[in-house]
Amino acid sequence: MLVLGIESSCDETAAAVVADGEEIRSSVVASQVLTHEKYGGVVPELASREHLRKIQPVVEEACRQAQVTIHDVDAIAVTEGPGLIGSLLVGLVYGKALALSLDKPLVGVNHLEGHIHAVWLENKMARIAGKPVAEAALPAVALVVSGGHTSLFLVEASSHAADHPGRVFTYSQLGRTRDDAAGEAFDKVAKLLALGYPGGPIIDRLAPFGNPLAVDFGHIKMKGNPLDFSFSGLKTAVLYRVRGTELAKEAGERRAWRKTADRPSDDDLRAHCAQATLDLIASFQKAVVQDLVERTLAAADACHVDAIFVSGGVACNSLLRQRFTEATRRQGLQAFFPSPALSTDNAAMIAAAGYYKLLAGERAGVSLTAHASFPLGANRM
Amino acid sequence: MTGGPASSRRIGGLADSHGVVTTLAERVTRSPEETIAFGLELAAHLRPPCLVLLEGELGSGKTTLAKGIVAGLGAAGEDEVTSPSFTLVHEYGSTGKVYHADLYRIEEPRDLAALGLEDLVDQATTVLVEWGEKLGDNAPIPCVRIRMEHRGSDDRRILVERVEA
Repeated sequence: MLVLGIESSCDETAAAVVADGEEIRSSVVASQVLTHEKYGGVVPELASREHLRKIQPVVEEACRQAQVTIHDVDAIAVTEGPGLIGSLLVGLVYGKALALSLDKPLVGVNHLEGHIHAVWLENKMARIAGKPVAEAALPAVALVVSGGHTSLFLVEASSHAADHPGRVFTYSQLGRTRDDAAGEAFDKVAKLLALGYPGGPIIDRLAPFGNPLAVDFGHIKMKGNPLDFSFSGLKTAVLYRVRGTELAKEAGERRAWRKTADRPSDDDLRAHCAQATLDLIASFQKAVVQDLVERTLAAADACHVDAIFVSGGVACNSLLRQRFTEATRRQGLQAFFPSPALSTDNAAMIAAAGYYKLLAGERAGVSLTAHASFPLGANRM
Repeated sequence: MTGGPASSRRIGGLADSHGVVTTLAERVTRSPEETIAFGLELAAHLRPPCLVLLEGELGSGKTTLAKGIVAGLGAAGEDEVTSPSFTLVHEYGSTGKVYHADLYRIEEPRDLAALGLEDLVDQATTVLVEWGEKLGDNAPIPCVRIRMEHRGSDDRRILVERVEA
Protein backbone atom coordinates (compact mmCIF):
# COMPACT_ATOMS: atom_id res chain seq x y z
CA MET A 1 0.00 0.00 0.00
CA LEU A 2 1.41 3.37 -1.03
CA VAL A 3 0.60 6.10 1.46
CA LEU A 4 1.15 9.79 0.79
CA GLY A 5 1.92 11.54 4.08
CA ILE A 6 1.46 15.29 4.54
CA GLU A 7 2.81 17.24 7.51
CA SER A 8 2.54 20.99 8.17
CA SER A 9 2.08 21.33 11.92
CA CYS A 10 4.84 23.83 12.51
CA ASP A 11 7.58 25.26 10.37
CA GLU A 12 8.26 22.47 7.90
CA THR A 13 6.10 21.71 4.89
CA ALA A 14 6.60 18.02 4.22
CA ALA A 15 5.28 15.25 1.99
CA ALA A 16 6.41 11.64 1.64
CA VAL A 17 5.47 8.46 -0.16
CA VAL A 18 5.90 5.34 2.00
CA ALA A 19 5.22 1.78 0.85
CA ASP A 20 3.63 -0.65 3.34
CA GLY A 21 4.71 1.44 6.30
CA GLU A 22 8.31 0.30 5.89
CA GLU A 23 9.87 1.64 2.73
CA ILE A 24 10.41 5.36 2.21
CA ARG A 25 10.05 5.98 -1.50
CA SER A 26 10.47 9.72 -0.99
CA SER A 27 10.51 12.21 1.89
CA VAL A 28 10.60 15.89 1.03
CA VAL A 29 10.91 18.57 3.70
CA ALA A 30 10.85 22.28 2.90
CA SER A 31 12.13 23.97 6.03
CA GLN A 32 11.21 27.50 6.98
CA VAL A 33 14.23 27.93 9.24
CA LEU A 34 15.68 30.61 6.99
CA THR A 35 12.37 32.47 6.87
CA HIS A 36 12.09 32.40 10.64
CA GLU A 37 15.73 32.82 11.53
CA LYS A 38 15.61 36.59 11.54
CA TYR A 39 12.63 36.50 13.89
CA GLY A 40 14.31 34.07 16.27
CA GLY A 41 11.35 31.74 15.95
CA VAL A 42 8.22 30.78 14.12
CA VAL A 43 5.88 33.55 13.08
CA PRO A 44 2.39 32.13 12.58
CA GLU A 45 1.21 34.18 9.63
CA LEU A 46 4.51 33.76 7.83
CA ALA A 47 4.35 30.04 8.56
CA SER A 48 0.88 29.57 7.03
CA ARG A 49 1.79 31.70 4.03
CA GLU A 50 4.95 29.67 3.45
CA HIS A 51 3.04 26.41 3.80
CA LEU A 52 0.51 27.62 1.23
CA ARG A 53 3.27 28.49 -1.16
CA LYS A 54 5.09 25.20 -0.71
CA ILE A 55 2.45 22.54 -0.21
CA GLN A 56 1.76 21.77 -3.85
CA PRO A 57 5.41 21.79 -5.05
CA VAL A 58 6.39 19.62 -2.07
CA VAL A 59 3.70 17.03 -2.76
CA GLU A 60 4.58 17.02 -6.47
CA GLU A 61 8.27 16.60 -5.63
CA ALA A 62 7.48 13.70 -3.27
CA CYS A 63 5.60 11.93 -6.08
CA ARG A 64 8.33 12.70 -8.60
CA GLN A 65 11.09 11.32 -6.35
CA ALA A 66 8.98 8.23 -5.61
CA GLN A 67 8.46 7.84 -9.39
CA VAL A 68 4.70 7.68 -9.03
CA THR A 69 1.82 9.91 -10.02
CA ILE A 70 -0.68 11.11 -7.48
CA HIS A 71 -3.12 8.54 -8.97
CA ASP A 72 -0.81 5.67 -7.96
CA VAL A 73 -1.09 6.57 -4.30
CA ASP A 74 -3.47 4.26 -2.39
CA ALA A 75 -4.26 6.50 0.56
CA ILE A 76 -3.46 9.84 2.17
CA ALA A 77 -2.40 10.50 5.77
CA VAL A 78 -2.33 14.04 7.16
CA THR A 79 -1.28 15.55 10.47
CA GLU A 80 -4.39 16.78 12.29
CA GLY A 81 -2.68 18.20 15.41
CA PRO A 82 -1.22 19.40 17.67
CA GLY A 83 0.44 22.46 16.15
CA LEU A 84 -0.13 25.97 14.87
CA ILE A 85 -3.70 25.98 13.67
CA GLY A 86 -3.07 28.08 10.55
CA SER A 87 -0.19 25.81 9.55
CA LEU A 88 -2.01 22.55 10.25
CA LEU A 89 -4.98 23.66 8.18
CA VAL A 90 -2.90 24.10 5.03
CA GLY A 91 -1.73 20.46 4.96
CA LEU A 92 -5.01 19.10 6.26
CA VAL A 93 -7.24 20.88 3.75
CA TYR A 94 -4.86 20.03 0.92
CA GLY A 95 -4.85 16.33 1.90
CA LYS A 96 -8.61 16.30 2.32
CA ALA A 97 -9.14 17.89 -1.10
CA LEU A 98 -6.79 15.37 -2.72
CA ALA A 99 -8.56 12.46 -1.06
CA LEU A 100 -11.97 13.76 -2.10
CA SER A 101 -11.07 14.55 -5.68
CA LEU A 102 -9.13 11.32 -6.25
CA ASP A 103 -11.55 9.21 -4.21
CA LYS A 104 -8.78 7.84 -1.97
CA PRO A 105 -9.03 6.86 1.69
CA LEU A 106 -7.88 9.51 4.17
CA VAL A 107 -6.68 9.25 7.77
CA GLY A 108 -5.69 11.89 10.31
CA VAL A 109 -2.53 11.31 12.32
CA ASN A 110 -1.47 12.82 15.63
CA HIS A 111 1.90 14.53 15.14
CA LEU A 112 3.28 12.88 18.31
CA GLU A 113 2.16 9.45 17.11
CA GLY A 114 4.07 10.21 13.92
CA HIS A 115 7.24 10.91 15.92
CA ILE A 116 6.88 7.58 17.73
CA HIS A 117 6.37 5.77 14.41
CA ALA A 118 9.55 7.36 13.07
CA VAL A 119 11.49 5.12 15.47
CA TRP A 120 9.58 2.12 14.27
CA LEU A 121 10.04 3.00 10.61
CA GLU A 122 13.79 3.56 11.00
CA ASN A 123 14.16 0.23 12.77
CA LYS A 124 12.19 -1.67 10.12
CA MET A 125 14.22 -0.12 7.30
CA ALA A 126 17.49 -0.99 9.04
CA ARG A 127 16.42 -4.60 9.53
CA ILE A 128 15.18 -4.92 5.95
CA ALA A 129 18.57 -3.58 4.81
CA GLY A 130 20.17 -6.39 6.80
CA LYS A 131 21.81 -4.19 9.43
CA PRO A 132 22.58 -5.95 12.71
CA VAL A 133 20.04 -4.11 14.84
CA ALA A 134 17.65 -5.46 17.43
CA GLU A 135 13.93 -5.30 16.73
CA ALA A 136 12.27 -2.27 18.27
CA ALA A 137 9.70 -4.42 20.03
CA LEU A 138 6.67 -3.24 21.92
CA PRO A 139 5.73 -2.44 24.59
CA ALA A 140 8.10 0.50 24.78
CA VAL A 141 8.43 3.80 26.58
CA ALA A 142 8.62 6.67 24.08
CA LEU A 143 10.11 10.08 24.79
CA VAL A 144 9.01 12.69 22.26
CA VAL A 145 11.21 15.72 22.76
CA SER A 146 11.24 18.82 20.56
CA GLY A 147 10.76 22.58 20.63
CA GLY A 148 7.06 22.22 21.31
CA HIS A 149 6.83 18.90 23.13
CA THR A 150 8.42 16.92 25.92
CA SER A 151 6.24 13.91 26.70
CA LEU A 152 6.60 10.31 27.80
CA PHE A 153 4.26 7.61 26.52
CA LEU A 154 3.80 3.92 27.04
CA VAL A 155 3.30 2.40 23.59
CA GLU A 156 1.57 -0.96 23.25
CA ALA A 157 0.21 -2.94 20.33
CA SER A 158 -2.84 -5.16 20.11
CA SER A 159 -0.78 -7.84 18.38
CA HIS A 160 2.84 -8.74 18.89
CA ALA A 161 3.25 -9.71 15.25
CA ALA A 162 4.90 -6.65 13.74
CA ASP A 163 3.25 -7.16 10.36
CA HIS A 164 -0.12 -8.23 11.72
CA PRO A 165 -2.83 -6.62 9.62
CA GLY A 166 -5.15 -4.50 11.69
CA ARG A 167 -2.59 -4.12 14.42
CA VAL A 168 -3.75 -1.28 16.64
CA PHE A 169 -1.29 0.83 18.60
CA THR A 170 -2.33 2.30 21.92
CA TYR A 171 -0.65 5.15 23.75
CA SER A 172 -0.80 6.16 27.39
CA GLN A 173 0.72 9.42 28.47
CA LEU A 174 3.05 8.86 31.41
CA GLY A 175 4.31 12.40 31.84
CA ARG A 176 4.85 15.70 30.07
CA THR A 177 6.43 19.06 30.62
CA ARG A 178 4.60 21.34 33.00
CA ASP A 179 6.14 24.48 31.58
CA ASP A 180 8.80 24.72 28.86
CA ALA A 181 9.61 21.97 26.35
CA ALA A 182 13.27 20.89 26.33
CA GLY A 183 13.85 22.31 22.84
CA GLU A 184 12.28 25.59 23.92
CA ALA A 185 14.74 25.78 26.84
CA PHE A 186 17.59 25.26 24.34
CA ASP A 187 16.19 28.05 22.12
CA LYS A 188 15.67 30.46 25.03
CA VAL A 189 19.15 29.90 26.43
CA ALA A 190 20.65 30.33 22.95
CA LYS A 191 18.72 33.57 22.46
CA LEU A 192 19.71 34.81 25.91
CA LEU A 193 23.37 34.20 25.06
CA ALA A 194 22.97 35.62 21.51
CA LEU A 195 24.04 32.35 19.88
CA GLY A 196 21.40 32.25 17.12
CA TYR A 197 18.36 30.20 16.06
CA PRO A 198 17.50 27.35 16.25
CA GLY A 199 19.29 27.03 19.59
CA GLY A 200 19.44 23.24 19.94
CA PRO A 201 21.88 22.39 17.13
CA ILE A 202 24.07 25.42 17.95
CA ILE A 203 24.35 24.46 21.62
CA ASP A 204 24.99 20.82 20.61
CA ARG A 205 27.96 21.93 18.49
CA LEU A 206 29.41 24.43 21.00
CA ALA A 207 28.98 22.36 24.17
CA PRO A 208 31.88 19.94 23.53
CA PHE A 209 34.22 22.95 23.91
CA GLY A 210 32.96 23.72 27.42
CA ASN A 211 33.27 21.96 30.76
CA PRO A 212 29.93 20.34 31.63
CA LEU A 213 30.94 20.18 35.29
CA ALA A 214 31.68 23.91 35.54
CA VAL A 215 28.20 24.83 36.74
CA ASP A 216 26.21 22.45 38.92
CA PHE A 217 22.53 23.09 38.21
CA GLY A 218 21.56 20.21 40.49
CA HIS A 219 18.64 17.88 39.87
CA ILE A 220 15.34 19.29 38.70
CA LYS A 221 12.91 18.80 41.57
CA MET A 222 9.13 18.76 41.35
CA LYS A 223 6.19 17.70 43.42
CA GLY A 224 3.63 15.26 42.04
CA ASN A 225 4.15 12.96 39.06
CA PRO A 226 7.87 12.05 38.96
CA LEU A 227 7.60 11.42 35.20
CA ASP A 228 6.65 15.02 34.43
CA PHE A 229 9.30 17.46 33.24
CA SER A 230 10.05 21.09 34.10
CA PHE A 231 12.71 23.14 32.34
CA SER A 232 11.52 26.63 33.24
CA GLY A 233 13.52 26.75 36.48
CA LEU A 234 16.69 25.66 34.69
CA LYS A 235 16.21 28.40 32.07
CA THR A 236 15.76 30.96 34.87
CA ALA A 237 18.85 29.59 36.64
CA VAL A 238 20.87 30.20 33.46
CA LEU A 239 19.42 33.72 33.19
CA TYR A 240 20.52 34.58 36.73
CA ARG A 241 24.00 33.22 36.07
CA VAL A 242 24.22 35.63 33.15
CA ARG A 243 22.37 38.75 34.25
CA GLY A 244 24.58 41.58 35.44
CA THR A 245 27.79 39.60 34.88
CA GLU A 246 30.61 39.56 32.35
CA LEU A 247 28.63 36.89 30.49
CA ALA A 248 25.83 39.37 29.80
CA LYS A 249 28.30 41.94 28.54
CA GLU A 250 29.89 39.36 26.29
CA ALA A 251 26.47 38.24 24.99
CA GLY A 252 25.71 41.87 24.16
CA GLU A 253 28.91 42.13 22.14
CA ARG A 254 28.10 38.85 20.40
CA ARG A 255 24.62 40.13 19.56
CA ALA A 256 26.14 43.20 17.93
CA TRP A 257 28.71 41.10 16.06
CA ARG A 258 26.06 38.63 14.84
CA LYS A 259 24.15 41.49 13.25
CA THR A 260 27.15 42.30 11.09
CA ALA A 261 28.26 38.71 10.43
CA ASP A 262 26.61 36.93 7.55
CA ARG A 263 25.80 33.37 8.67
CA PRO A 264 28.91 32.91 10.82
CA SER A 265 30.57 29.50 10.89
CA ASP A 266 30.72 27.45 14.10
CA ASP A 267 34.40 28.33 14.47
CA ASP A 268 33.61 32.05 14.15
CA LEU A 269 30.86 31.77 16.71
CA ARG A 270 33.08 29.83 19.09
CA ALA A 271 35.82 32.44 18.69
CA HIS A 272 33.25 34.96 19.93
CA CYS A 273 32.43 32.91 23.05
CA ALA A 274 34.48 33.20 26.24
CA GLN A 275 35.37 29.94 27.97
CA ALA A 276 32.90 30.79 30.76
CA THR A 277 30.11 30.97 28.16
CA LEU A 278 31.08 27.62 26.66
CA ASP A 279 31.23 26.12 30.17
CA LEU A 280 27.74 27.45 30.92
CA ILE A 281 26.38 26.02 27.65
CA ALA A 282 27.95 22.62 28.31
CA SER A 283 26.65 22.54 31.89
CA PHE A 284 23.15 23.55 30.80
CA GLN A 285 23.04 20.89 28.10
CA LYS A 286 24.25 18.25 30.53
CA ALA A 287 21.52 19.21 33.01
CA VAL A 288 18.76 18.92 30.36
CA VAL A 289 20.07 15.63 28.97
CA GLN A 290 20.56 14.09 32.39
CA ASP A 291 17.00 14.94 33.39
CA LEU A 292 15.53 13.54 30.16
CA VAL A 293 17.50 10.30 30.50
CA GLU A 294 16.74 9.80 34.20
CA ARG A 295 12.99 10.34 33.92
CA THR A 296 12.71 8.19 30.80
CA LEU A 297 14.59 5.33 32.48
CA ALA A 298 12.35 5.73 35.54
CA ALA A 299 9.34 5.42 33.23
CA ALA A 300 10.73 2.23 31.65
CA ASP A 301 11.32 0.84 35.12
CA ALA A 302 7.80 1.75 36.30
CA CYS A 303 6.24 0.14 33.21
CA HIS A 304 8.57 -2.90 33.21
CA VAL A 305 9.55 -2.41 29.57
CA ASP A 306 12.92 -3.02 27.96
CA ALA A 307 12.67 -0.75 24.92
CA ILE A 308 13.02 3.02 24.90
CA PHE A 309 12.12 5.10 21.82
CA VAL A 310 13.53 8.63 21.63
CA SER A 311 12.29 10.94 18.88
CA GLY A 312 11.56 14.57 18.01
CA GLY A 313 13.99 17.33 17.05
CA VAL A 314 15.95 17.17 20.32
CA ALA A 315 16.61 13.45 19.62
CA CYS A 316 19.27 14.75 17.20
CA ASN A 317 21.30 16.04 20.14
CA SER A 318 24.56 14.07 20.25
CA LEU A 319 24.98 14.09 24.02
CA LEU A 320 21.38 12.88 24.42
CA ARG A 321 22.01 9.95 22.10
CA GLN A 322 25.27 9.10 23.81
CA ARG A 323 23.82 9.22 27.32
CA PHE A 324 20.74 7.21 26.40
CA THR A 325 22.86 4.58 24.71
CA GLU A 326 25.22 4.27 27.68
CA ALA A 327 22.52 4.29 30.34
CA THR A 328 20.30 1.71 28.61
CA ARG A 329 23.25 -0.57 27.94
CA ARG A 330 24.20 -0.48 31.64
CA GLN A 331 20.68 -1.52 32.61
CA GLY A 332 20.19 -4.18 29.96
CA LEU A 333 17.64 -2.05 28.10
CA GLN A 334 17.67 -0.86 24.53
CA ALA A 335 17.38 2.66 23.17
CA PHE A 336 16.10 3.32 19.64
CA PHE A 337 16.42 6.59 17.74
CA PRO A 338 15.35 7.59 14.27
CA SER A 339 18.05 9.01 11.98
CA PRO A 340 18.28 12.83 12.28
CA ALA A 341 16.17 13.27 9.12
CA LEU A 342 13.38 11.20 10.65
CA SER A 343 13.80 12.77 14.13
CA THR A 344 12.84 16.27 13.08
CA ASP A 345 9.45 16.98 11.51
CA ASN A 346 8.84 14.97 8.34
CA ALA A 347 5.94 13.36 6.50
CA ALA A 348 7.35 9.82 6.20
CA MET A 349 6.52 9.30 9.88
CA ILE A 350 2.97 10.51 9.24
CA ALA A 351 2.57 8.11 6.30
CA ALA A 352 4.00 5.24 8.39
CA ALA A 353 1.66 5.89 11.32
CA GLY A 354 -1.26 6.36 8.90
CA TYR A 355 -0.54 3.01 7.25
CA TYR A 356 -1.42 1.07 10.41
CA LYS A 357 -4.57 3.09 10.94
CA LEU A 358 -5.62 2.37 7.36
CA LEU A 359 -4.89 -1.36 7.81
CA ALA A 360 -7.04 -1.32 10.93
CA GLY A 361 -9.87 0.11 8.82
CA GLU A 362 -9.75 3.67 10.10
CA ARG A 363 -11.06 6.33 7.67
CA ALA A 364 -11.48 10.06 8.15
CA GLY A 365 -14.43 11.85 6.60
CA VAL A 366 -14.79 15.34 5.26
CA SER A 367 -15.36 16.48 8.84
CA LEU A 368 -11.66 15.90 9.65
CA THR A 369 -10.36 19.10 11.20
CA ALA A 370 -7.19 20.53 12.72
CA HIS A 371 -6.64 20.71 16.47
CA ALA A 372 -4.11 23.09 18.03
CA SER A 373 -4.18 21.01 21.22
CA PHE A 374 -4.51 17.31 20.56
CA PRO A 375 -3.57 14.92 23.37
CA LEU A 376 -2.28 11.49 22.37
CA GLY A 377 -3.70 8.62 24.39
CA ALA A 378 -5.13 8.62 27.87
CA ASN A 379 -3.31 9.85 30.95
CA ARG A 380 -1.93 6.97 32.91
CA MET A 381 -0.28 8.60 35.89
CA MET B 1 -9.51 42.48 44.06
CA THR B 2 -7.57 43.32 47.19
CA GLY B 3 -4.12 44.32 48.23
CA GLY B 4 -3.41 47.59 46.46
CA PRO B 5 -4.44 51.20 46.65
CA ALA B 6 -6.71 52.19 43.77
CA SER B 7 -5.21 55.03 41.76
CA SER B 8 -5.77 56.33 38.25
CA ARG B 9 -3.40 58.00 35.84
CA ARG B 10 -2.91 58.41 32.14
CA ILE B 11 0.07 56.74 30.56
CA GLY B 12 2.35 59.20 28.85
CA GLY B 13 -0.43 61.75 28.83
CA LEU B 14 -1.74 60.39 25.53
CA ALA B 15 -5.34 59.63 26.32
CA ASP B 16 -6.22 58.92 22.70
CA SER B 17 -3.67 56.20 22.01
CA HIS B 18 -3.27 54.89 25.55
CA GLY B 19 -5.75 54.61 28.34
CA VAL B 20 -6.67 55.26 31.93
CA VAL B 21 -4.79 52.93 34.23
CA THR B 22 -6.18 51.83 37.58
CA THR B 23 -4.14 49.75 40.00
CA LEU B 24 -6.24 46.81 41.09
CA ALA B 25 -3.80 44.86 43.22
CA GLU B 26 -0.18 44.50 44.16
CA ARG B 27 1.29 41.42 45.73
CA VAL B 28 4.65 39.88 46.53
CA THR B 29 4.65 36.09 46.26
CA ARG B 30 7.44 34.01 47.76
CA SER B 31 7.15 30.73 45.84
CA PRO B 32 5.70 29.34 42.59
CA GLU B 33 2.86 27.89 44.70
CA GLU B 34 2.02 31.36 46.03
CA THR B 35 2.12 32.77 42.49
CA ILE B 36 -0.32 30.08 41.32
CA ALA B 37 -2.55 30.77 44.35
CA PHE B 38 -2.61 34.46 43.44
CA GLY B 39 -3.58 33.51 39.88
CA LEU B 40 -6.49 31.46 41.21
CA GLU B 41 -7.56 34.48 43.25
CA LEU B 42 -7.29 36.84 40.25
CA ALA B 43 -9.35 34.52 38.06
CA ALA B 44 -12.36 35.03 40.30
CA HIS B 45 -12.33 38.71 39.29
CA LEU B 46 -12.00 38.24 35.53
CA ARG B 47 -15.23 38.50 33.56
CA PRO B 48 -15.03 37.31 29.95
CA PRO B 49 -14.60 38.63 27.36
CA CYS B 50 -11.30 39.69 28.83
CA LEU B 51 -7.79 40.34 27.59
CA VAL B 52 -5.00 39.92 30.13
CA LEU B 53 -1.46 41.04 29.28
CA LEU B 54 1.34 39.42 31.26
CA GLU B 55 4.50 41.49 31.25
CA GLY B 56 7.94 40.84 32.70
CA GLU B 57 11.32 39.47 31.70
CA LEU B 58 12.37 35.86 31.12
CA GLY B 59 11.88 33.84 34.31
CA SER B 60 9.67 36.39 36.06
CA GLY B 61 6.84 33.88 36.53
CA LYS B 62 4.39 34.69 33.72
CA THR B 63 3.61 31.06 32.83
CA THR B 64 3.36 30.18 36.52
CA LEU B 65 0.77 32.91 37.11
CA ALA B 66 -1.06 31.83 33.93
CA LYS B 67 -1.36 28.32 35.44
CA GLY B 68 -3.25 29.79 38.40
CA ILE B 69 -5.48 31.98 36.23
CA VAL B 70 -6.41 29.19 33.78
CA ALA B 71 -7.04 26.76 36.65
CA GLY B 72 -9.09 29.41 38.47
CA LEU B 73 -11.22 29.91 35.36
CA GLY B 74 -11.88 26.17 35.37
CA ALA B 75 -10.50 25.69 31.85
CA ALA B 76 -7.64 23.27 32.69
CA GLY B 77 -5.63 21.93 35.59
CA GLU B 78 -2.54 23.95 36.48
CA ASP B 79 -0.22 21.11 35.38
CA GLU B 80 -1.78 21.17 31.91
CA VAL B 81 -0.89 24.81 31.38
CA THR B 82 2.51 24.96 29.69
CA SER B 83 4.58 27.61 27.96
CA PRO B 84 3.20 28.61 24.55
CA SER B 85 6.52 30.22 23.47
CA PHE B 86 7.05 27.71 20.69
CA THR B 87 3.46 26.88 19.82
CA LEU B 88 2.38 30.56 20.16
CA VAL B 89 -1.22 29.95 21.20
CA HIS B 90 -2.62 27.29 23.53
CA GLU B 91 -6.33 26.74 23.90
CA TYR B 92 -7.92 25.49 27.12
CA GLY B 93 -11.47 24.51 28.06
CA SER B 94 -14.54 23.94 25.94
CA THR B 95 -17.18 26.29 27.27
CA GLY B 96 -15.55 29.40 28.70
CA LYS B 97 -12.49 29.04 26.54
CA VAL B 98 -9.14 30.43 27.57
CA TYR B 99 -6.48 31.24 24.98
CA HIS B 100 -2.92 31.47 26.25
CA ALA B 101 -0.65 33.24 23.80
CA ASP B 102 3.02 34.19 23.90
CA LEU B 103 4.73 36.99 22.00
CA TYR B 104 8.25 35.95 23.06
CA ARG B 105 9.30 35.18 19.51
CA ILE B 106 7.51 38.09 17.91
CA GLU B 107 9.92 40.86 17.03
CA GLU B 108 8.26 42.80 14.25
CA PRO B 109 5.20 44.85 15.27
CA ARG B 110 3.58 44.01 11.93
CA ASP B 111 3.53 40.32 12.86
CA LEU B 112 1.32 41.11 15.82
CA ALA B 113 -1.63 41.76 13.59
CA ALA B 114 -1.16 38.26 12.18
CA LEU B 115 -1.79 36.70 15.57
CA GLY B 116 -5.33 38.10 15.52
CA LEU B 117 -5.56 38.68 19.26
CA GLU B 118 -8.67 40.85 18.92
CA ASP B 119 -10.37 38.05 17.04
CA LEU B 120 -9.70 35.64 19.90
CA VAL B 121 -11.46 37.84 22.45
CA ASP B 122 -15.13 37.15 21.95
CA GLN B 123 -18.08 36.77 24.28
CA ALA B 124 -16.98 33.61 26.00
CA THR B 125 -13.23 33.86 26.08
CA THR B 126 -10.41 35.03 28.23
CA VAL B 127 -7.14 35.69 26.40
CA LEU B 128 -3.87 35.66 28.35
CA VAL B 129 -0.90 37.13 26.49
CA GLU B 130 2.65 36.59 27.74
CA TRP B 131 5.18 39.26 26.75
CA GLY B 132 2.20 41.62 26.40
CA GLU B 133 4.60 44.60 26.49
CA LYS B 134 5.51 43.77 22.90
CA LEU B 135 2.09 45.04 21.87
CA GLY B 136 3.17 48.58 22.83
CA ASP B 137 0.69 51.09 21.47
CA ASN B 138 -1.12 48.30 19.62
CA ALA B 139 -2.50 46.82 22.83
CA PRO B 140 -6.25 46.45 22.50
CA ILE B 141 -8.08 48.17 25.35
CA PRO B 142 -9.79 47.62 27.70
CA CYS B 143 -7.49 45.02 29.18
CA VAL B 144 -5.97 43.87 32.42
CA ARG B 145 -2.21 44.33 32.59
CA ILE B 146 -0.13 42.30 34.99
CA ARG B 147 3.48 43.31 35.51
CA MET B 148 5.79 40.76 37.05
CA GLU B 149 9.18 41.37 38.50
CA HIS B 150 11.74 38.96 39.88
CA ARG B 151 12.99 40.14 43.27
CA GLY B 152 15.75 37.64 44.04
CA SER B 153 15.37 34.06 45.33
CA ASP B 154 11.77 32.97 44.68
CA ASP B 155 10.18 36.38 45.32
CA ARG B 156 8.02 37.92 42.62
CA ARG B 157 6.34 41.32 42.75
CA ILE B 158 3.05 41.29 40.85
CA LEU B 159 1.20 44.47 39.92
CA VAL B 160 -2.30 44.19 38.47
CA GLU B 161 -3.77 47.13 36.56
CA ARG B 162 -6.90 47.78 34.56
CA VAL B 163 -6.43 49.79 31.36
CA GLU B 164 -9.51 51.51 29.95
CA ALA B 165 -10.16 53.87 27.09
